Amino acid sequence: MRIIALVRKDLQRVLGDRRALFVNLALPLVLTFIIGLSFGGGFLGSGGGISAIPVVMVSEELPALLTERITEGLEESGFFTVSWADSSTADALVREGTAAAAVVLPQDLVERFFSAENLVIEVWKDPGSALKAGIVEEILRRALTRYQAGEAAYRALWPDEEMAQVGDAEARIWRNLLDGNFTEVWENWRSARGDTTFTAAAERMALTMDRHAALSRAMGETRITLAVADKAPAGQTDDDGQVNLFNFFLPSFSVFFLMFSVAGSCRDIHRERTTGTLQRQLLSPLGDLEFMLAKWSSAVVQAVFQLLVLFLSGALLFRVNLGPDIWSLPLAVLTCCTAGVGVFMLLALLSRTEKIMDNLSTVVVLVSAMLGGNMMPIDAMPAWLRAVGHYVFNYWANLSFHNIMAQDTGIAADPQPVLVLAVVSLILLAVNLLLFRSRVRRGGLA
Amino acid sequence: MIQVNELVKKYGSHRAVDGISFDVAKGELFGLLGPNGAGKTTTISVLATLLPANGGRASIGGHDVAGDAAAVRRLIGIVPQEIALYTDLSARDNLEFWGRLYGMGGAVLKNRVTELLDMAELGEQASQKVSTFSGGMKRRLNLVVGLVHSPEVLFLDEPTVGIDAQARSRILEIIRGLSGSGLTVIYTTHYLEEAEQLCDRIGVIDQGKMVALGDKEELISQIGDEDLIRFQLDPGLRAALGSIAETWTGCLGIAERRGKVEIRARDGARLLPELQAWFQTQGQTLEQLEVDRPNLETLYLNLTGRGLRE
Repeated sequence: MRIIALVRKDLQRVLGDRRALFVNLALPLVLTFIIGLSFGGGFLGSGGGISAIPVVMVSEELPALLTERITEGLEESGFFTVSWADSSTADALVREGTAAAAVVLPQDLVERFFSAENLVIEVWKDPGSALKAGIVEEILRRALTRYQAGEAAYRALWPDEEMAQVGDAEARIWRNLLDGNFTEVWENWRSARGDTTFTAAAERMALTMDRHAALSRAMGETRITLAVADKAPAGQTDDDGQVNLFNFFLPSFSVFFLMFSVAGSCRDIHRERTTGTLQRQLLSPLGDLEFMLAKWSSAVVQAVFQLLVLFLSGALLFRVNLGPDIWSLPLAVLTCCTAGVGVFMLLALLSRTEKIMDNLSTVVVLVSAMLGGNMMPIDAMPAWLRAVGHYVFNYWANLSFHNIMAQDTGIAADPQPVLVLAVVSLILLAVNLLLFRSRVRRGGLA
Repeated sequence: MIQVNELVKKYGSHRAVDGISFDVAKGELFGLLGPNGAGKTTTISVLATLLPANGGRASIGGHDVAGDAAAVRRLIGIVPQEIALYTDLSARDNLEFWGRLYGMGGAVLKNRVTELLDMAELGEQASQKVSTFSGGMKRRLNLVVGLVHSPEVLFLDEPTVGIDAQARSRILEIIRGLSGSGLTVIYTTHYLEEAEQLCDRIGVIDQGKMVALGDKEELISQIGDEDLIRFQLDPGLRAALGSIAETWTGCLGIAERRGKVEIRARDGARLLPELQAWFQTQGQTLEQLEVDRPNLETLYLNLTGRGLRE
């Protein structure tokens, strides 16, 4: 009864605060809308959402195995639809605006790669679709940076293993292997076991692959994960093969703004302390533990309300996917909110004054947003950032929403993010209760 | 109703409350008088269970404030020095919220809220946000919020700070009415006029210690029936006046304070002609003359050597 009275009072205050309503509810929707429009998205579901960025890959003679892997890799991100064409067709597609960009791989890519030649990958951008083409370029650049970092590490570890110039015979063997012409490889090996070219190519390939595998493991690359997650992002793809990018942006913006609003709710303890209403409540039969529970519940209710309003508005305005079942998203919302309130309540209780809490929470929100995937998609985060991100609650919140809304994967299929959030929530609730009681007993809140 | 015995509250090495003792009877209006920083609010905070004491004992209605805080909280209401209200809610919403915290609801709460709004003369503004209220209106609402659950003991911590004379007069009127209804009130103030007007008994606090305790007459009798004559005088003539004034009938002493000469006299009116005559003989004019009857300010000055507002 008393807890309900306190929650009701806090909600009354929030609902009466137009500025807070604008910042917490309207602003994330407006930003999502603006970013969505930038990608050519529609309003009220017109056009079935935003098209995925069309990319044309150009390569005259790439082995089939590599073609498949590149296509899968790009389309798994959910941002691209990939097609392959010759250079003149690609040029026409970009010029007429059908493709946002064309990525032109060099001639004889495989041979030149293994000959350690300098390679130049060209990106042809559609000037009428600068933002989409820019994304293609940026992601490509990032991939190359990661590759070059891996190669630099390889050379640092095995400095004597300069890639030797391969002859035509050895290049042919490489091509057979990459093309999957295993019959020819087998026959070659059986008929010419003593062929030094073949033996050298096989040994070089074995050594290179072993070392790449070891390096990949050491650098924590997620190559295996990518290979397994070959499912197309069903929640964002409709019958026309289009991708709704709002499924990425809305949860990300919502969690970002949620952190600010939760920080504000938790900061209210200091405001109440300054105005004297906290002391008045502590003198009521409410007691310290009941007060803390009430304040925690109040912040959670406000946060849940905020996320639900945002997601439901997103579903109505931008056809955002709300998940494969009825309970995954509410459960993810609840655990995200309880964990978020736990984090910022802890900050509030550790801060001596409202000003300290204000500064501290701003820093925590921005750093958490950077580490936890609110400033870039989780898929695009480098491995080290993802590893650090495990220690901020919003990483798990983003991951759970990404699974549900972008990947259309329910909690039953991947319960880890929600379980982590639930455990973090329980631990933080217990810590906050003890900390609050301790501060009250020491007169630190009087 | 309230017993306080050798109460001590320290902040580090500073003794904010230093061995205070007093009792307050049921229905009594007890004043704690002292300047800012004397220890009044700290004393109230300890009695209201907000701060733990470092020594001594205190009980309210037979319940120890340290050992049985929950029982004490059920008995008390507090009106803090700050405007402890939700200014973004209406007056009615504020009162209803505080009532619900004490387990009230339904018609009982509704009637009580209406009664308190009438008492504070805020009935017409009940639905307005508190942020739109004047200082006096906020103070009145702040006062009645402390009464919503009908406490047996009310702590009023400087409830008239920062408001105009008219608003103060209205608040004092409400407090008088409360006292008349049998409520036990502890009232802290640094306005001695308020303490003199309102309180049945007064404890004078200075630097955490209780320097005087009793009803108004008892306290004033401690300094006797003395008048205080104050005036300006050229510093070069002060020694001459000092030697002659001691020969005047009724003169009890002469001193300098805050740039003025002060003469304590048994009957100030009888001494004034002699003083006037002396000024004429010196070719001077008697300027800025004040004659004060003994009051709490005099008492406080005598006890501490400082004014209440210093």
